[in-house]
Amino acid sequence: MASPPNALCFGDEFPAAGAPCLVQVEEHGLTVTFTSDTADSEPESVPFSTLTVSAGGLDHDQLVVKWVGPKGERTLYLKNPDTIRAFRQAAPDHLSHSFAQAAEQVRQVRHRGRLVWSLVVGVVLSTVLGLWFGSDLLVEIAVSRIPVEWEQKLGESAYRDFLSHQEVMKEGPAVAALGEMTQRMTAQIPDNPYKFEVTVVKSDVINAFALPGGYVVVFTGLMKKAESGEEVAGVLSHELNHVLQRHGLERIVKNLGLMAVAAIVFGNQQGLVGMMKQLGVELFTLKFGREQETEADLKGLQLLQRARIDPSGMITFFERLSEKDQGRMEWLSTHPMSAARAERLKAELAALPKKLPEPFMFDWKQVQAGL
Amino acid sequence: MKSEVLYPGAFPMVRVELAAGENIKAESGAMVACSPTIDIESKMEGGFLGALSRKFLTGEKFFFQTLRASRGPGEALLAPTVPGEIVILELDGVNDYMVQKDGFLAGADGIVIENKMQGLSRGLLGGEGFFILNISGKGMLVLNSFGAIHKIELKPNQEYIVDNSHLVAWSSTTSYNIEKATSGWVASFTSGEGFVCRFRGPGLVYIQSRNPGSFGAWIRQFIPVSE
Ligand SMILES: [Zn+2]
Repeated sequence: MASPPNALCFGDEFPAAGAPCLVQVEEHGLTVTFTSDTADSEPESVPFSTLTVSAGGLDHDQLVVKWVGPKGERTLYLKNPDTIRAFRQAAPDHLSHSFAQAAEQVRQVRHRGRLVWSLVVGVVLSTVLGLWFGSDLLVEIAVSRIPVEWEQKLGESAYRDFLSHQEVMKEGPAVAALGEMTQRMTAQIPDNPYKFEVTVVKSDVINAFALPGGYVVVFTGLMKKAESGEEVAGVLSHELNHVLQRHGLERIVKNLGLMAVAAIVFGNQQGLVGMMKQLGVELFTLKFGREQETEADLKGLQLLQRARIDPSGMITFFERLSEKDQGRMEWLSTHPMSAARAERLKAELAALPKKLPEPFMFDWKQVQAGL
Repeated sequence: MKSEVLYPGAFPMVRVELAAGENIKAESGAMVACSPTIDIESKMEGGFLGALSRKFLTGEKFFFQTLRASRGPGEALLAPTVPGEIVILELDGVNDYMVQKDGFLAGADGIVIENKMQGLSRGLLGGEGFFILNISGKGMLVLNSFGAIHKIELKPNQEYIVDNSHLVAWSSTTSYNIEKATSGWVASFTSGEGFVCRFRGPGLVYIQSRNPGSFGAWIRQFIPVSE
């Protein structure tokens, strides 16, 4: 026997484990020589024109070559990188697209593998380091390494799930007004990786929230309570900054651990559903820390200022929400108002350079009338 | 190197004959008896870090033993801890197997044992842990099981569904998805949720006829609870 086998061949007359064989790349096709004594030892020439290729195997990292020969359907599993490279170079144009697809799949699997490994190392390291330094810094580092796409995956499924149980306002002056606010603010965020999606939900609940990844919900109850567009814009700006500062992720990583986040993102569909259910609950009951609230307030104020939206609306709305205890103030349950909070904002506003605010295009009373 | 399974069935042993200078790797603790010509070395496969990670991540024993016929030809008798069948496979350099951590008993010097991390969801849900052994290379591979070993042969694209805890080994040309078991799959002794693997061929899947976890639960009900 000249060379050791470099592939396994499957077909009806071969054992289920596959027949080891030697695949050689020639000018016009592959030559397959079976190396076991049980199989036919005549080399088989297979022209390129009869082949299809794809990625397969346990980790989708093997090249699967199929053809129908005189003895029936044959499937080759190739792992040897040199053989695969030679094959790819010699292969005619009609195969190059499939090759590119297979290569892309392999690249994704490898990339994923590397990511997962670095995660594991990261988790082990952070557990060890966390014992010495406390964990806030590590949470921040961990969060900064999570790609935005993960965050979007996390937020989006919870968001869609939530909206499917709600009465969503699809059009009308309120939707247009929120669109205008969002547009004006996001235009002032340099290198914004998020595609914010703001949905108006019909409910008397006085609340608004943002999920990781840029999914924001504003309830009509909150819009009814506000006396101007600027007041709603204040809450919206605060929520947008929870997203921009990745506060949701910080909480999740802190509470559930990085592994859980990774599991959800990499999870296959069956596992994902269950975990999303659990996490969905977490996402909605997510209470931000006091520092995160302060950060969202201050950054929110600055964002309003940059977008030339009168920031005093934010302050008056906060103050009004805290003064009167009128019915269901859900936003307050997650955003306890204190005199100090409004004072801090006033001080911050005084320190900012004065900018002439530009009014919104909509008329707030008309927007409210359409609710 | 020659090997044979003695007393096939529930309580088998493997006899491995080694020529002078030959060696095999065995699960530590597998050695039952040997000729005086055989030396036992506790070698850390994959270096210290490899062994350490295996210990922590798979729960696998820290060392594999190397049994070497350093002072002339001889034989060794090996047996697993649990009652169950032994199967000997021959690796030819192209067929590799994923082996669940308790399934490895011994292997020729030419085989390569690597820890392989499963996809996270497979690891989280699969019950075999995050790491399994990826065994490749050339030569003899000895697997053991809890209960009898059954071989499932899959043609390309043929599917088969296996209860997770019955898995022993599967060839790397197969692929699989983990699915949540419907109630019929879960034994009455285990309270947790069960998972099954949907395998897709081509390739081989070796399963064991008894479930170690369920067996443990079954035993536990006879142990008197003390205050
Ligand atoms: Zn907030």
